[in-house]
Amino acid sequence: MTGHPAAAARFLDDAARAAWHDQSLWFMRQKRDRGSALPEWESLRFAGSALKAHAMSRLADLLEEFERRATANGVVVHWARDAREHNAIVLGILRTAHVTRVSKSKSMLTEECGLNPFLEAQGIEVVDTDLGERIVQLAGEAPSHIVIPAIHWKREEIGALFHRTMGTPAGETSPDALAAAARVHLRDALLHAGAGITGANALVAETGGVVVCTNEGNADLGMHSAPIHIACVGIEKIIATRDDLGVLLRLLARSGTGQPVTAYTTHVTAPRPGAAMHVVLVDNGRTARLADAAMRTALHCIRCGACLNTCPVYRRSGGYSYGTVIQGPIGAILAPAIDLDAHQALPYASTLCGSCVDVCPVRIDIPAQLLAWRARGAAAGRLPRGYGIVFEVLRRVLGTPATFARATRWARRVQRLVPAAWLSGRWNPWTRPGRALPVLADESFREWARRERNQP
Amino acid sequence: MTARDDVLAAIRAADVPAAPAASVPTAIVDRTDLHAAFLRVLTVVGGVGAVLSPGQSVPQLVSELLGAIGAQAVIVPGRFAVAENGAVYVDSDDVTARIAIVLAEHLVVVVPHAAIVPTMHEAVRLMPAESRCGWFLSGPSKTADIEQSLVFGAQGSRTHCVVFDIATGVG
Repeated sequence: MTGHPAAAARFLDDAARAAWHDQSLWFMRQKRDRGSALPEWESLRFAGSALKAHAMSRLADLLEEFERRATANGVVVHWARDAREHNAIVLGILRTAHVTRVSKSKSMLTEECGLNPFLEAQGIEVVDTDLGERIVQLAGEAPSHIVIPAIHWKREEIGALFHRTMGTPAGETSPDALAAAARVHLRDALLHAGAGITGANALVAETGGVVVCTNEGNADLGMHSAPIHIACVGIEKIIATRDDLGVLLRLLARSGTGQPVTAYTTHVTAPRPGAAMHVVLVDNGRTARLADAAMRTALHCIRCGACLNTCPVYRRSGGYSYGTVIQGPIGAILAPAIDLDAHQALPYASTLCGSCVDVCPVRIDIPAQLLAWRARGAAAGRLPRGYGIVFEVLRRVLGTPATFARATRWARRVQRLVPAAWLSGRWNPWTRPGRALPVLADESFREWARRERNQP
Repeated sequence: MTARDDVLAAIRAADVPAAPAASVPTAIVDRTDLHAAFLRVLTVVGGVGAVLSPGQSVPQLVSELLGAIGAQAVIVPGRFAVAENGAVYVDSDDVTARIAIVLAEHLVVVVPHAAIVPTMHEAVRLMPAESRCGWFLSGPSKTADIEQSLVFGAQGSRTHCVVFDIATGVG
């Protein structure tokens, strides 16, 4: 095994931790269920889907409209074809202003572009200021969840990390005390940075506004204290109108954390007096995705994390098992477009149960795209190793009812003769300690029905 | 070709079929007492708030609500409140510095009593067209990044207080 199945198997080796992770995410899913209990929730989701489809259909016009308004307000708008150009633009802005220390609030785009390692190699210090992101940054890790980056960390481990890096007392594990230490640590970094980098949850063409949502207030501390604010944004984040923003804001936090709205929702259209504001619009594969009609709606994603929290596979395999910047079901349909060879196993990291599409605030049909990626992978001769043989066997067995009946009769006999421990042995990738093969019924449904019918 | 030209050309070449603008769904909400609904949600998101009584001053009510720390609070005007999520809209034109919103340890937002809407659908239409920066603030700064334990006062305000002022609510 390689890729996702191998990494998931390693994650599951620590059964207690895997169960804890599963429960933590399910707790998020339950908060989402309570938060989304609005009578008009389903019509809101339809509106969310419609506003995104509309924005994609007018993407070029809306970006130009945004640029026109933003430029008129004194914002400098940059365009980047790919990650390399994006990083070069950010570096250029920082170099011109002799900035050596920047703060950065949560931005999956800058993770995608590898901005941190790039800037650090140029001698610029980057402090991630979202608490969860700071935890994983101090530990030399990447986020394992797009909304809750350190969801895989336990408080004892965070306590030990903060003891080492922030000098909190040894053995301190209270979230209040640890968050208080982080507040001092992060405020210092935020207020002494030469530039504040943020992402954006939306760009509004009608207002020329950049919308940033946080609970901690770290994006605001960064963008309003430093002399330079740089917002790094994927082009698919644009929406047409303020009405669309209202719909989006009603959906976003409820889907992500179950909150009615985030503590801070900032709509910024112009730099403050004496400061500079830049917006970097990034393509990096998005226009190719837009041209791919079957997979286009993946661009509608508003990064709420609901599909991760509900996914039985994500909950039981952890964010790192995906090996991607965006994890979970949405990550499994985004990554193959970037590199089908590297991520050929990801479309299989799903039971196709459909829970992701049920919770998605913009109704992206993730299972349909997972299936379509499986088909493309197979057509391109890129099935994960061993899958080809399994599929051929399944095709023959399931292909005709007679073969299927013969195969199950045979399987029942084998299961009775062979020791259960052997059937659930290490050779069988579908079983693990504590997860044995279920015992097959003594007779099939057809056999039972025939017997019942023949009774007097 | 510049990057701008290339990206825009690639978008137009993608030839995405036209999709109509979204219509705003009708929110099904109880509009009888928006202030009570607002204050209920405000409590859930970790804030405190009240309606100013006739003859009562804002500092009086703030010290009633916050106690001794009320004296250190930064008081800013809010334009309007949103009942469904306990948010108040504050515009940068009304504050001395943008950073004050997050730097303040204890923030008090004074909102005209009449300026309240049921949902974000109405709220976004009230955002001033000429705004350079504005916030929807819903409760104090918070984090749940440590084992999902909710901690208030993550990086911004520790205390968040909303006062509905009847005197400014006229007109």
